[in-house]
Amino acid sequence: MTNSLLSLNEATKTVNSGSNKVTLLDNIDLQVKEGEFISLMGPSGSGKSTLLNCIGMLDSFTGGGYTFLGEPVHSMKEKNRSKLYKEYIGFVFQAYHLIDELKVWENIETPLLYKNVKSSERKALVADMLDRFNIVGKKDLFPQQLSGGQQQLVGIARALIGEPKLILADEPTGNLNSKQSTEIMELFSKLNKEGVTIIQATHSENNASYGSRVVNLLDGKIVS
Amino acid sequence: MIRAHFKIGIRNVLKNKGFFALNAGGLIIGLTSVILISLWVRSELSYNKELSNYNTIASVMQNRTFAGEIDTNIGQAMQLAPILRNEYDNHFKHVVTSTRRRDFEITYNKNIVLAKGRFAEPDIAHLLDLEMIEGDRTALNDISSVLISESTSKSIFGDDSPIGEALKLNSNLDVKVTGVYKDLPKNSSFEKLNFIAPWERLKTSQNYEKRLGWGNRWFQVFAQIDDNSSLANVSKIIKDIAKDNNAKDTGNPELFLFPMSKWHLYSEFKNGLSVGGKIEYVILFSIIGIFILLLACINFINLTTANALKRGKEVGVRKTLGSSRKQLIFQFFTESFIIILFSFCIALVLASIILPQFNTITLKEVFMPFNKLSFWIASFLLIIITAVLSSLYPSVYLSSFRPVKALKGANDNNKSPLVLRKTLIVTQFVISSVLIIGTLTVVSQINHVKDRPIGFNKDLLVSVPINNDNVLQSFESIKNELLQSTYIDQVTASDVKVTSTYTTNGGFDWKGKDPNFEEEFYTIRATHGFGKMIDWEILEGRDFSESFASDSLAFLVNETAVKYMNLENPIGEYIDWGGDGDYKIIGVVKDMVTLSPFDPIVPTLYVLHQGDYLNFVNIKIDSNANNVEAAIDKIETVFKKYNPENLFSYTFLDDEYQENFIAEKRTARLVGIFSIVAIFISCLGVLGLSTYMAIQRKKEIGIRKVLGASIQSIWKLLSKQFIMLVVISLLIAIPIGYYFSSQWLMEYSYRININFWIFVLAGSVILGITMVTVSFQAIKTAIANPVDSLKTE
Repeated sequence: MTNSLLSLNEATKTVNSGSNKVTLLDNIDLQVKEGEFISLMGPSGSGKSTLLNCIGMLDSFTGGGYTFLGEPVHSMKEKNRSKLYKEYIGFVFQAYHLIDELKVWENIETPLLYKNVKSSERKALVADMLDRFNIVGKKDLFPQQLSGGQQQLVGIARALIGEPKLILADEPTGNLNSKQSTEIMELFSKLNKEGVTIIQATHSENNASYGSRVVNLLDGKIVS
Repeated sequence: MIRAHFKIGIRNVLKNKGFFALNAGGLIIGLTSVILISLWVRSELSYNKELSNYNTIASVMQNRTFAGEIDTNIGQAMQLAPILRNEYDNHFKHVVTSTRRRDFEITYNKNIVLAKGRFAEPDIAHLLDLEMIEGDRTALNDISSVLISESTSKSIFGDDSPIGEALKLNSNLDVKVTGVYKDLPKNSSFEKLNFIAPWERLKTSQNYEKRLGWGNRWFQVFAQIDDNSSLANVSKIIKDIAKDNNAKDTGNPELFLFPMSKWHLYSEFKNGLSVGGKIEYVILFSIIGIFILLLACINFINLTTANALKRGKEVGVRKTLGSSRKQLIFQFFTESFIIILFSFCIALVLASIILPQFNTITLKEVFMPFNKLSFWIASFLLIIITAVLSSLYPSVYLSSFRPVKALKGANDNNKSPLVLRKTLIVTQFVISSVLIIGTLTVVSQINHVKDRPIGFNKDLLVSVPINNDNVLQSFESIKNELLQSTYIDQVTASDVKVTSTYTTNGGFDWKGKDPNFEEEFYTIRATHGFGKMIDWEILEGRDFSESFASDSLAFLVNETAVKYMNLENPIGEYIDWGGDGDYKIIGVVKDMVTLSPFDPIVPTLYVLHQGDYLNFVNIKIDSNANNVEAAIDKIETVFKKYNPENLFSYTFLDDEYQENFIAEKRTARLVGIFSIVAIFISCLGVLGLSTYMAIQRKKEIGIRKVLGASIQSIWKLLSKQFIMLVVISLLIAIPIGYYFSSQWLMEYSYRININFWIFVLAGSVILGITMVTVSFQAIKTAIANPVDSLKTE
């Protein structure tokens, strides 16, 4: 598996803060192949989250080129971009970001609603996922009724249900204790072996060690 | 998908019960008001429409000129209808002379019931398209017949057939039932018409043929025009008939047709031109209805966008999960729609519950037309309009959040929604203020008129109608018998009640009168002692006196009449009255309010009664004994003795006077109620905006408190901007309120000048209520633990 998934070519992100122009990401060059497990590391404010958001197309670079599966993201319209990430990218957040008003199974189901998957098929896919993550018994609970680790499990299940090629995880264990962290990281490792490409932002050396490659950021630049 | 939207919508409602209560509460109250107003407006607009020949029926009216003023009246001479019928028959299908609808007593087997009826020509059955249940439409051709309505037949005869039964009208006219018609529509000029008797019968029994000429315009003439004619055309054709047939008439009479479609809403005329009428209230309340709906929608927008902070995260998550903006808009719209639909259903129930009370205030019989398709179409439209007005913007706004920022919990940093919300709040305040100003104007106008000195004493005055000749002939005996009672002070008789005169006369001549001046005086005829009884004030000269036999040819005149006739020394002047002889002015009476207190004083002549003109016995209850009940008992006993055939009825002149205020009081009550509704809804909006601002400034307030700010200073900080909003609103509302109030007041000749305090009071009310509402939130925020508010970062 050596197909290129995405490539960044001098990708830059600047924002205006008052009259100052602040550079958040500075000429980033990055190639990601399918099947990789990359850890973005660096201190707070080094641009990890911004890079993840831009790769995830929630935010956009202000300069340089971004190619995803051979398509030039930088010259795409918002609509096509959202089509692209809806299809191929799943997100996992530090704060889980589950929808409080939805039950576990409904949270997992939501991405399928936006992909116009038929009801019967949705039920089957959600059932599979609940099974796979061993949370069948919790399917009718609301997020607040779960522990942090369990919530993140639901978050990952939700990210996976659309069968994305790429999972972007921003400090996925940031709110978890060490035991829960280990479980989540082992899960990521397992998923990666099954073929899912993962990019995670993390502070933890230990977490980074699960990955196949570490990219270090400092002040918006890749330093190694 | 839509099921998922409904699900999350309902869960959101259950989770944010307070928010939902505010939001739905405003909508429910707003929609209830709108439903009630719409029902009322619909009923007003459909008045008379249930009558079959709605589009072709008109009443003949006439304009006459007095002293340069054109006076419009519905009264016609009995000679008119035959001319229209015989000489203009190609333009008319039916022409009918009719008396006005009057109260009668119907006697059947010694039982008396009260009923309303008309004497009319037989064609009225065709004109009104009477649906005959028994007998046929020609029944009125029989001069001794009477047609009664179905409900009247039920109340007198039960389930038996009334045909052929003998009735007595007002205990002196024998008639025989020859037909029963289905009751005429409630919401029409002919509602509650219990019977129709033949006009010929009245004419013969009263000897009208000999007595009445073109000058006695006592009747109404209804016409149904031919299908091929137009009302406007026929109106032109008949214009000069009255003039051509009565050369003596100097009032320059011009006839015209007044279509049925205008009877109810456009009944007021000024100087010969239609100047509206009830339509003004229809427009006024339609505007109020639209405003209240607008207020409720604004409220919804404010609260929903304020709540957006809470929903921001969800928007972010959904967008990262692949939701398009359109799908989010649809989701939020669905949620709003649920609330609106729910509110509408509750409002419908609430409106049904309030409807009886609403009907009491409006004096209408409005009902919920659940069985009409048009009702459901209108309801559907109302829901859609409300939904679009109130949830389109919030849906678009909520769905516009950028996912990254929304997930971080950051506020939208563009200021436009806040500006918009402030604009909306100002709009709400403006509407509420205008309504308050309106209410205060109406109320102070009513109080002003109530305080108007009426020039006589109406306390403890009772008047009893003289129904038949027995009473008239035995007046002296009645009087003497009544005066024997210690409860009764004085007894007189007159042709009109002093609180509501209506008899006008012309044909006067006096020294120095301009020969082209077409005068019109109100006249009051009464027995000796009338003036003393009502405690009038004689400014010059003397009262009528039994010691001067010549007083039978004497007038007392009021101040206005003196000015009207332009007499410098009125006492001793002579006035000629239609050749009846010269009447000497023996006294000048201080002006009295003998019409509506809202109207100007009219020139009035007081004269001793002659002949059979007396219509009321006036009784002053002794104020020392002050036992009203015993006095009324005594009066009833005496009247029953002299007039056993009629029902005994009486009115207190004080009550009669109060009736002048009914229309204005009703307006005041309705406008008042709707301004309370408006203020209430606006308060919910203020609550929404202040909550939003408090959440937005939570961190700032936390920091300020850590730095030592007092609760008071924080309260000030949060309340300050609302004071600004109120001030801006008042600056806009005052000119608008002033304009509408003065327009309304223009209709009254005796009126207040709009006073500055009205605006001060309205401003204080709005400001006060706003401050209470804002403080509720401000204090909550101010006393919150700063650690909690700072932790959220």
